[in-house]
Amino acid sequence: MENNNADAILKIKEVSKVFPGVKALDRVSLDVFRGTIHGIVGENGAGKSTLMKILSGVYQKDDGEIVFDGNKIENITPIQSMNMGLSIIYQELNLINTMSVGENIFLGRFGEMGGRTGVHAKARILLDSIGCKIDTQKQVSELSVSDKQMIEIAKALSFDSKLIIMDEPSSSLTADEMKQLIEIIHDLKNKGIAIIYITHKLDEIFNFCDVVTVMRDGHVIDTRAVNAISRNEMISMMVGRTIENEYPPRPNCVGETILEIKNINTKKLKNVHLTIKKGEILGLVGLVGAGRTEVVRALFGADKVHKKSIQIDGESVRINNPIDAINNGLAMVPEDRKIQGLLLQFAVEKNISLASLGKLSSYGFINEKEEGKISERQIKSLNIKTPSAKTKIQMLSGGNQQKTILGRWLEIKPKILILDEPTKGVDVGAKYEIYLLMKKIVEEGGSIILISSELPEVLHMSNRVVTICDGRINGEFDPSQASADEIMAKAFEFA
Amino acid sequence: MKLWQKPLNSHKKTMDNKMTMQSITKIVRNNLILAGIAVLIIVTSLVEPKFLTSANIENIIRQFGTLIFVALGMTFVIMAGFIDLSVGGIISLVAVVTVTLIDKVGQGPAIIVGITIGLICGLLNSFLILSSGALTQAEALFLTYGMSLVFGAVALIYTQGVTQFLTYSKTDISLFNTINSGSIGIISISFIIFIVCLLILYIVEKRTYIGRSIVVVGGNKVAARLAGIPISKTIVFIYAVSGVMTAIGTVILVARVTLASPVMGIPYMANAILSVVVGGTALIGGKGSVLWTVMGTLLLILMGNCLNLMGVSTYIQYMLKGAILILAIWLDNRKQFSEGN
Repeated sequence: MENNNADAILKIKEVSKVFPGVKALDRVSLDVFRGTIHGIVGENGAGKSTLMKILSGVYQKDDGEIVFDGNKIENITPIQSMNMGLSIIYQELNLINTMSVGENIFLGRFGEMGGRTGVHAKARILLDSIGCKIDTQKQVSELSVSDKQMIEIAKALSFDSKLIIMDEPSSSLTADEMKQLIEIIHDLKNKGIAIIYITHKLDEIFNFCDVVTVMRDGHVIDTRAVNAISRNEMISMMVGRTIENEYPPRPNCVGETILEIKNINTKKLKNVHLTIKKGEILGLVGLVGAGRTEVVRALFGADKVHKKSIQIDGESVRINNPIDAINNGLAMVPEDRKIQGLLLQFAVEKNISLASLGKLSSYGFINEKEEGKISERQIKSLNIKTPSAKTKIQMLSGGNQQKTILGRWLEIKPKILILDEPTKGVDVGAKYEIYLLMKKIVEEGGSIILISSELPEVLHMSNRVVTICDGRINGEFDPSQASADEIMAKAFEFA
Repeated sequence: MKLWQKPLNSHKKTMDNKMTMQSITKIVRNNLILAGIAVLIIVTSLVEPKFLTSANIENIIRQFGTLIFVALGMTFVIMAGFIDLSVGGIISLVAVVTVTLIDKVGQGPAIIVGITIGLICGLLNSFLILSSGALTQAEALFLTYGMSLVFGAVALIYTQGVTQFLTYSKTDISLFNTINSGSIGIISISFIIFIVCLLILYIVEKRTYIGRSIVVVGGNKVAARLAGIPISKTIVFIYAVSGVMTAIGTVILVARVTLASPVMGIPYMANAILSVVVGGTALIGGKGSVLWTVMGTLLLILMGNCLNLMGVSTYIQYMLKGAILILAIWLDNRKQFSEGN
């Protein structure tokens, strides 16, 4: 793809960016052509996000040249880049929940659009053009994540975008919603708009991208047509070595029942009943919002519950808050790493020791020597890549942040470890390490409840899969026998 | 992100330069407050000969001696991501109760009752915050402001609005005199009380479980809760400390001014928050130290003193204080922005 075709809407030449301690981009070059879907893959920390932030004007480049639609980009602001026709749809969507769909699309441009009526009329036209039937008067807070994504796309189109960058748009979409998104992307492509599609999911690259660029450690490793690259090639480019398998062999060490939950009832959950065996990985499958996270939060004492009965090792226990849960041998790696898990401004060491602080203290004083020891131990055993234990955790990549949280919980040696989306936003290499770790935990006699939106992950790692739909447990499968389609059909039963 | 493992060849030099520049700016930023104090002292002593007289230095130490206790207590509250606006009310209430009790129960017991009232006020604050589920700083702000009005009103009702004078006391007030002007060698009693409090709080902050809980709760309440950090206990602790420290400061204040008015606490609220924030403790929580607060308080008191000596009007001083507060918050946010992204 090295031709200097006139069709290139975006030319990036030798762009570099340095942050304190890290070279985020090292002479990156990349051309993006009109009417193509250009996938960018790479592990976390590969430099994808930095590159996008430079394009959108959030960061300024240190070196190199960027030409967009024939104009050099120098010191632009996010608004200027949008007006030039370059839109970015971020992973965490940037909509205002308390405003209507129409108002969100034309935010800050009500005047030019002819007031309220004009805004809604024009919003209607835009939404129709991508086949979206959402009422423009509807408040954004009432929409599903996929609908919100459609609104973002409409917003990008409203700026007459020539290039739309999508940063992991599928991370919170269901399969059906994904189909809809793919259709729209194709539609945009046919209109001559270029799409940069950033993702972790290799399937998506093969399903609908035309060109793919692989990044690693701030370098562009290669840019190729998708039909000229194999899956294994792509993975080895991403991680810099060959990975034989994406998943380790399924652990097989299921023992006696260790935990039994009966009658969990909340606003959302109806009579949920679950059992978990020693040495078992139990997969919990369901749509976002079906209640899978609510089940484990109720178990862990994180949410208020009307009624529940929990037995561990045959004895009834009371779990009213996370402290009770931890004292009863439970641990939870929560769904949202940044909001629910990390102390971003704190050292890796303090993030690791957080759940063990009680154990580390005597007479109210923290044994700092011991704290240093346990964090060094976890950094070593989990292979957490950090300059030192004192480094702030926000400097680490997603995968290493996740391993730090795992280390926090492994240090208290839980009987039952709850993993809610443990590999979300984690790169391929670290994913495999996390799978191996799960295997090790159950082989040493622990049990795991695994929630994940990535069905293959659940199918490959679990000993048993339970589907949850509309707040009810509605199916149980042996993943070595059942097919993905069967399980998904059950998870969609009432949807 | 894995770059530290690899040699950085061609861009190493530019990077090194950047790093040195950045570490220099960091050092300057982190010590801005020390530089401010130094500049204030040097400039004022050159311009205003009265500044370095023993009378003026004593004056500075005394002003410092009340505010610092309130500010030290406030530091923990702000580090945990909360705020305590009730300190003004607590000062007024503790002051009038302590002074009026001297005649009835004697000096020592009166002081003990005063400090206990501070503790109770703090516990009341935390009880209100916990029972209403007010876990944001904004909610804590309004709740404790409400409590400040309540405490102040109780003080007004209790005294019928009349200022109580320590000097008219029928019984012995020697203990208060000792607190005010006594000394061991050349070190004054109030300074010793300050050092003892500072040491205890510093050890709590750096070495203990509760100290870590405070800063962790300020850093990320949700993550702290899910990791089993006792949020409720932490909230009770910070407000109790704030109440007790404020009461200790009040006793020293009363000993100095030898009177107790039911409105005397009002100016301390803003000044205490100002001291903490100017010291560099982040208003959003998760970061700070009682040591920084000492610096912040010193800077604030020195500035007021210099401006007074130069005859700058109080109105202008209010404006300058406001400007300094805004500057402190602005600098801190800028810093977080550059570190955070």
